[in-house]
Amino acid sequence: MMNSSQVGVVLTPEERLARRRLILRDAVSLLTLFLITVVLFILTWLLHRSFTDHEALLGQRWKARGVAALHAGNPRAAIESLRSALAYVPSRDTEVDLATALAEAGRTQEAFAYFNTLRESAPGDGMINLQLARLAAKQGNEQLAILRYQSALDGTWEGNGYERRREVRLEMAGYLITRHQDDKARAQLLIAASNASTDDAAAQTRIAGMLEQAQDLSDALNIYRAVANLHSAPLTALEGAGRAAFNLGMYRVAVAYLSREFASPGAASLPAQAKGADQNMLDTANRVLLLDPADDLPARVRAERTLTDRNLARARLTACAASPSASPKLAPLVTRWNQLPQKMSLYQLEQQPDLNQTILQLVYDTEKLTAQICGAPTGDNAVLLRIAQNPGAVEQE
Amino acid sequence: MPEPTTQSTAAEPVSPGLADAGPESASGKESSFAATLERIAPTRDERLFLVLSIFIGVMSGLLVVAFRIAIDWIKLLTLGSAPHAYQLRLIFVPAIAGLVVAALVMWFFPAARGSGVNQTKAALYVYDGYISMRTVIGKFITAALAIGAGHSLGPEDPSLQIGAGVASIIARKLNMSRRRLRMFAPIGAAAGLAAAFNAPISAILFVIEEVIGSWSAAVLGSLVLAAISSVVVVKWFLGAEPMFQIPVANFKDPRELLAYAVLGVIGGLLAPLFSALLGFLRPRMRALPKWSLYLQPAVAGLMVGAIGYFGFPQVMGVGYDIIDQALHGQFIWQVLIALTLLKLLATTLSFSSGTPGGMFAPTLFIGAMLGGAVGAFEKHFFPGLAGTVGTYALVGMGVLFAGFLRAPLTSVFMVLEISGNSDIILPLILANTLAFLISRSLQPVGIFEIFTHQDGLDLPSMEEQREESSLHIEDAVQPVDVPVVRGSDSLQSVADLMAQAKAHACLVRLPDGSWYALSAEDLTAASATLTPDAPVQRALKPDRVPQLFPDMPLDTALHHFPRWPVLPIQNRASRGTLEGVLTLDDVLTRYRGGH
Repeated sequence: MMNSSQVGVVLTPEERLARRRLILRDAVSLLTLFLITVVLFILTWLLHRSFTDHEALLGQRWKARGVAALHAGNPRAAIESLRSALAYVPSRDTEVDLATALAEAGRTQEAFAYFNTLRESAPGDGMINLQLARLAAKQGNEQLAILRYQSALDGTWEGNGYERRREVRLEMAGYLITRHQDDKARAQLLIAASNASTDDAAAQTRIAGMLEQAQDLSDALNIYRAVANLHSAPLTALEGAGRAAFNLGMYRVAVAYLSREFASPGAASLPAQAKGADQNMLDTANRVLLLDPADDLPARVRAERTLTDRNLARARLTACAASPSASPKLAPLVTRWNQLPQKMSLYQLEQQPDLNQTILQLVYDTEKLTAQICGAPTGDNAVLLRIAQNPGAVEQE
Repeated sequence: MPEPTTQSTAAEPVSPGLADAGPESASGKESSFAATLERIAPTRDERLFLVLSIFIGVMSGLLVVAFRIAIDWIKLLTLGSAPHAYQLRLIFVPAIAGLVVAALVMWFFPAARGSGVNQTKAALYVYDGYISMRTVIGKFITAALAIGAGHSLGPEDPSLQIGAGVASIIARKLNMSRRRLRMFAPIGAAAGLAAAFNAPISAILFVIEEVIGSWSAAVLGSLVLAAISSVVVVKWFLGAEPMFQIPVANFKDPRELLAYAVLGVIGGLLAPLFSALLGFLRPRMRALPKWSLYLQPAVAGLMVGAIGYFGFPQVMGVGYDIIDQALHGQFIWQVLIALTLLKLLATTLSFSSGTPGGMFAPTLFIGAMLGGAVGAFEKHFFPGLAGTVGTYALVGMGVLFAGFLRAPLTSVFMVLEISGNSDIILPLILANTLAFLISRSLQPVGIFEIFTHQDGLDLPSMEEQREESSLHIEDAVQPVDVPVVRGSDSLQSVADLMAQAKAHACLVRLPDGSWYALSAEDLTAASATLTPDAPVQRALKPDRVPQLFPDMPLDTALHHFPRWPVLPIQNRASRGTLEGVLTLDDVLTRYRGGH
């Protein structure tokens, strides 16, 4: 293209020759430039390739070291390794591992910041929300911890989502129990129990155990019993059912499950301490059943037990009232005792169920009040106190 | 050929004239060659200019990729794959590298000192775009060695100089004209910077804001071509992702701007402190005996290494990975503050020692740490703030770039480009503007100008150029004090009017709406050949006074005075209506400061 000023310019033959030479020289120069570019490109490509290959290798190596250190319980070493891995091959998995390592190393604030940032890019990630919940719990931020636990429950999970969510729910329930929010914990545990398969004895037993911790003995007992009714009932379920029933005052049930526990083949392998505790429970429950004047007993036997219980309670009252400080507080109770006939026969009690009931009520009230004033009783008085606390439950099936 | 340099030694600043002896000595031959070229191929330079811009872009991109990989390789080989605190090599490697770099710079590559921005400006304004091959090679080797071995410097400014050097070499080999040769350096600079940042727009803007100083249509096309070519190459090698990726943060509540404004204010206060530190330490270190120049980079390396050894290895080297970690909120605010201050110190030491390397990456690093710290601190007390710590770190990068490097427009586009995130544009503009204004009020001279003055050069200050308030015609225009006549009026009547008004000229309004300024001498000359009753328009020459309006720059009027004794200033809305007149005296009086 020629501009207007060029129009009409006549070149001499020398100038035309110079122009041709110039065009040729420019063409050669551009070709040379192109070749230099190609050579430079190849050199850069080789350099780049060697570096990226090496980088990938380093990334894998550091990631493996970091994960190994994390699993070996050495989060500090894991942090360094995972940071290095991220510098060479960034990946979300490595970031999560790094944040986890930070949390495990006690660098809570850093881990919190890291996980928060990860959550911003994936707010529905169950694992990240769970880690944030743990960190919030560690920092004492109860409200945030519960919120994040809930987000973790609602979030997405890789692999077995059902099982992971159940674990989160149980962890959340455990946290709620530690925060004395038993009602909320109970609600989560009941959801977990209903979601878990009834055949999954381990999960159901674990949930029942946590329900016991959340003071929901009744639901715990129901779950234990359901598990205990399975073909191969685990020892823990029998033990749990016995314990829950015992604590609920359902001594007949407790005796049944604790007896099954001791009768089962695995009982020998129980730890001595647990075995001893269970044995104590069983002995106490058996004694309760021996002292309990249950309604379904023959009238004669019931009257005998009432008289025995009356004697035990009166002796306890007498001993307790001997203390000058306790005497005034026990005065109303003494008055009630004095209103009873001084002597009564078995026949009298057999024939007068109301009198029998009045005596039993006085026995229970005596045991409860003396326990408050003179401290926990021992021996049969302790057993009577158990009956007094929930007389209707003792024989409950 | 002597090496043109802006930073040879402290004691003996090189005279630009002497340094440029090579290009000057050939000027006679060149001008003859240029004249021949102009005759036999007048459009050659223009055509080659665009083609070569692409070559420059591609070659700059390749060199910058190689430069960055070289830095990474050196880092791996010297500091190991996972440098961490309490490794002795952190102390010794930068120190030994400092010794080697100092020897290379002193013996072989004296022009490789410094960042590269001012050297490129010097090439453009002092040396007719001349940057030697030796400078390019020296910059590549020494900067890669220093940065890779842990000196707290960045690769962007050297990339800019490498790009400018490539452009200069290519243009010289192709025998481009001196005017074109001068234009190639900024084109290469844009290509180099675009490749270093993987951000073509901000590279172009930076070169315009800081190197060229004005928008020039002649260069803009080539700048764009070169920058895009280099970025294409970089993306091919290093991937298309933005340099930093942060989670999306939706900016919704305008009240949150206050939180970003706080960041802008703090950045505006920190930037002059950084400038002052550099401005204080650099000339003092350069004033030390010449033998100490061999040791200064090593001592600086030792001190930077000590910072790394005693717990903060993050401050060593470029620090892109650390910036990325800050953007992802992986540091608590106390650590971020510590990194801000230690990086500032480390960079001041490294740069003041004369170690080749740039200021861009450290500036971004310090800004990111500062932003992250402010963001984390604010979010701690106001958890309702929607922005993440990452967004504050990102805005912080722009804040310090605007406050310290004084390139406000580039700072905004650079942050947008390197993050690929446009959600933060409002807080970014606000915080950057605040930082720029506060920093400028506290430290009126920008960092590049400080370095220029320290080097004994007098390069144009782009910031000052932008600040200059240019005069307009309306600032000098005077009421019409000369006779105004019609073209049909007789010569006699016009002469009578002029005599009556004692005017040296009159304005003649012609039937087609145009104007003519007739001097008394012209009128007298016309009177000698025409009859007194002849219309005055017969006495006029064919040309007409230019159309000038009050809003036009005053200097546009200057070159008309040799021809016209007085210039009519017209109204844009109503052509032909006079706003006033302008004489040479009026213009000169205005330039002298009079009214």
